[in-house]
Amino acid sequence: MSQELPSSSPVASAAGTPRTYTCSWCGLTSGGADLSCPACGAAVDVRSVVSKSGWTALPGRRDMAKLQFGSSYCQIEGTYVPVADMNLAAGDSVYFTHHVLLWKDPQVAVTSMGLKGAWKRMLAGMPLIMTQAAGPGHIAFSRDFPGELISLPLQPGQTVDVREHLFMVATSAVTYDWFQSNIWFTTKSGDETETHYPLGMYLDRFVAPAAPGLLLLHAGGNVFVRRLEPGQTILVKPTAFLFKDTTVSMRLHIERPAGTWRSWRSWGDRYFWLRLHGPGRVAVQSAFEPFEDNGRDISSHSGATQRQW
Amino acid sequence: MTDPHLPPPLSPDAPLVRLECQWCKSMNEPGALACRTCGAPLDVKDMVSDSGWREAPRIRDMTEIQFGASTCQVEGEIVPVAEINLGAADSVFFEHHVLLWKDDTTRMSVLPLTGGVKRALAGMPFVISVAHGPGRVAFSRDATGELVVLPLHPGQELDVREHAFLLSSHTIDYTFIRIKGLRNILFGGNGMFMDRFITTSAPGLLVLHGYGNVFERTLKPGESLQVEPGAFLYKDASVTMDVEPVKLTSGFFGGTSMNLARMTGPGRVGIQSMYVHHTTD
Repeated sequence: MSQELPSSSPVASAAGTPRTYTCSWCGLTSGGADLSCPACGAAVDVRSVVSKSGWTALPGRRDMAKLQFGSSYCQIEGTYVPVADMNLAAGDSVYFTHHVLLWKDPQVAVTSMGLKGAWKRMLAGMPLIMTQAAGPGHIAFSRDFPGELISLPLQPGQTVDVREHLFMVATSAVTYDWFQSNIWFTTKSGDETETHYPLGMYLDRFVAPAAPGLLLLHAGGNVFVRRLEPGQTILVKPTAFLFKDTTVSMRLHIERPAGTWRSWRSWGDRYFWLRLHGPGRVAVQSAFEPFEDNGRDISSHSGATQRQW
Repeated sequence: MTDPHLPPPLSPDAPLVRLECQWCKSMNEPGALACRTCGAPLDVKDMVSDSGWREAPRIRDMTEIQFGASTCQVEGEIVPVAEINLGAADSVFFEHHVLLWKDDTTRMSVLPLTGGVKRALAGMPFVISVAHGPGRVAFSRDATGELVVLPLHPGQELDVREHAFLLSSHTIDYTFIRIKGLRNILFGGNGMFMDRFITTSAPGLLVLHGYGNVFERTLKPGESLQVEPGAFLYKDASVTMDVEPVKLTSGFFGGTSMNLARMTGPGRVGIQSMYVHHTTD
């Protein structure tokens, strides 16, 4: 008798046995006839890579993997700095921050989106412009840093909170908003007070209110995800934080290693952490910007917890 | 070809995959694992997106490429190194900042350039150096990316983004052209010059380094495409490049525009997926 194959093996479908495949990344159940999940592009025949501490690596993606949204599709090309190459059908549209545009067909029209209060948000000194592209036609996006492209298909009602400036492109079914991260502290030098935002001043929030949508992010280096149980906490480097479910709450945590004291004003006498409190999914990136700490005394903060070892 | 990293050779009864390299169109003997002229793997599927972009071939670690009486070995994958073993009569030229290491005995000289004094690279005069065989010399650039090996057939002309070329064999003529038009210079994100490589009667080897991933597409006569100027890497001289503003209409911020380079065929266009962002006006 032939060996029994697990129902999730793509070989099983080749043998003609009716079966379904549930993607380990996005949870979509598909026929599994393709080599990659049609909703998120993750390869179907790879095992989840989970570290002993519980972080799951972003699932492997075949070069040129295709994912579908509405009647359009997106092909993800390249491995170091991946490109999202969209083939937009008539009637479908996507929006993006204008600096990620790589190339487009001349007939694809791009227009800027009116955003309430958008003047408050700046990216590297430039106003953050949300730009919209409507089908039919091809348009492609990439960012300027080696890393991974994360596809987050959002089911109706699903919400995700994302660190600012990681957003690459989303379909028009996804609405975009932002809120104050409320992770900050101030330092004082004489009369001068400086406010620091280890996580950035704002977080982006993406919701698919009615119809399913697709959200693409680009992270630096490699991406790791874990699911926190209710009440479970973990400390992550604030600049490494990528995204979280809205059920996960955050708080600043300041740690001082043993052998240092408050009068020891130099870098390295304290660590800033982001404490993430479950339940829900959290993700980190392995390449992150350094957080500049001037080492001065903290005069106030956003309700941070502290620990002196 | 005893490299343990290479996959086993195809079985004798397997159908012949291809003889012609899909990247550089050179012919290779049956069973070859990598193109001898450009190093592209011959036993992997060609990576072409639905929109027509061909991915630059991922050259296997330690692949060797022949040119003239010399060889080039490509080492590493994230920031690859091109290591050249020069034959006695061969030489390669390059910009000084890509030099990684060389043998003590490899002779060096400088390429005489007209008008080179007008160009400066990061405040230093722009100098093209030459390494003469016999001897070894190796090159790499300062960022994650891909080596793009472009063997030039006789009678070809290729324009390359400035400072993107890693090395070129001595059979290729080098010149640089001033990018025309103020908009092209100011908003094109390519600086004021483009490098131009020309072969006359002999073939030559040109190696570029692209940031991130590199893709190539062949435009038909009159076909055009808009590319982020910072992503432009190379093009056939027959392809025209014009930077044009794309107005982003908006009820609140009318007047914001971005610049895209319109590339019009016929010919090849190469782009890189990681680029320096240039500000909007």
